[in-house]
Amino acid sequence: MNEAKLIDRARQGDGTAWETLVQAHQEAAYRLAYLLLGDTTQAEDVAQEAFMRAYQALQRFDTARPFRPWLLSIAANLARNQRRAFGRYLTALRRLVQAEVSHVESVEGRAAQSWEAQTLWQAVRQLDFADQQVIYYRFFLDLPVEETAQAMNVAEGTVKSRLHRAMNRLRTVIKQHYPSLQEGREA
Amino acid sequence: MTEQPRNDLERRLIAAGRAFSYPSTPDIARAVTRRLGAHPARRPVRSPARRLAWALVVVIVLLAGLLAVPPVRAQILEFLQIGVIRIFLTQPTPTATFPPASTPEPVVIASPGKSKISLTPVSTETEITPSATSRPSPTPLASLLDLTGEITLAKALDSASFPIQLPAYPPDLGLPDHVFLQDMQGQVLVLVWLDPADPTRIRLSLHQYVGKDNITGHKFSPPVVQETSVNGRPAVWAEGPYLLELTNGDYEFVRLIEGHVLIWTQDDITYRLESDLPLAEALRIAESLQPLPIPTP
Repeated sequence: MNEAKLIDRARQGDGTAWETLVQAHQEAAYRLAYLLLGDTTQAEDVAQEAFMRAYQALQRFDTARPFRPWLLSIAANLARNQRRAFGRYLTALRRLVQAEVSHVESVEGRAAQSWEAQTLWQAVRQLDFADQQVIYYRFFLDLPVEETAQAMNVAEGTVKSRLHRAMNRLRTVIKQHYPSLQEGREA
Repeated sequence: MTEQPRNDLERRLIAAGRAFSYPSTPDIARAVTRRLGAHPARRPVRSPARRLAWALVVVIVLLAGLLAVPPVRAQILEFLQIGVIRIFLTQPTPTATFPPASTPEPVVIASPGKSKISLTPVSTETEITPSATSRPSPTPLASLLDLTGEITLAKALDSASFPIQLPAYPPDLGLPDHVFLQDMQGQVLVLVWLDPADPTRIRLSLHQYVGKDNITGHKFSPPVVQETSVNGRPAVWAEGPYLLELTNGDYEFVRLIEGHVLIWTQDDITYRLESDLPLAEALRIAESLQPLPIPTP
């Protein structure tokens, strides 16, 4: 059954159809939230809430459009609110646990994860929210420009210009704070 | 549309995205289905176990090396309503023993002539955090400056839906060093004065809330909570350090309150003053509020 039919059925109260939709997109929503928040508990909360909000707004959704960008835009907005809400607390907490976090990453992270992928992610996390968003959509979640534009509610040309700016800022961050990522690989 | 990566960094990001070790995706479909089956909720549901884990992270950070922190559960024993702020006081019912003198019991003091705070069981699924025993100190600057919505005082005057009040006491206080205006289903104005002796520290902060919806605050075992009054109106005084969880609609944050907090109302505005000053000084500041003059064009 295609996505539009599933949405139609979900609108009519078919719980199985809705569950099928959630299962199809839960990974993308959760991963985006995790990339933006860096915390599994908050990511799960945001992903779950994104589906709840999507369900509540399902009657207004245009089934001629793909579901995933719309869902991801809801998740991104929730993640942004979550970041704002917890920002004050996390800033203080981050300073306190910096040593512990570094230790955990050195023990657990490097053994299991690609060092470059993790380090690039850390570099991306230094960017502002909009820059992170466009990079995650395009490169981490592998969304085409068209879906990225829908998820960010901008024109496709705007995606390209935003991506260009975000990449320039990322290069600056890498140059200043992650010299180990440079090593002559990026002009 | 051609979407070929144009440079090495883009190729590396694509590779990073593919090599990235995401945590395994939880069964969100099941949780969502369960929530829809029960009742559509507006806020993410965090299970008691995860809430407890979250609190424990804080506890471990705060008391690392000092305490062995066991899992604990809590019961909300009472709440106070001051303006739009509803404060739930959470008293621990630990399942394991803390070292003596490390977890002072909350002291609730009813001022002479005040009615005693009513006991209202609300929930039994809230985590608690034992309060630290360190002496109160000014709030770290970074914990406030991460707020969104920083604007100038002049713009705040234009944008605020209520008259902004500033303390006339102490006389050397002057204008705030930072001003934040946020919308939390009602406006929240946050004024921050830095410590002149140490500009990386906050001397005091004054929050001004307007709105119809309650802001719910859970104060976890503040050493002292005291009823008092500002200009003859009921007020609450809480001495830090303690953990505060604030929720209002979509917003939620948890924060370590290191100083002392005075909460009161005046003309439908709820005020919250945080500093390391004693109660008498805080009351003097609170009662010195004066409307900020509107600048002439």
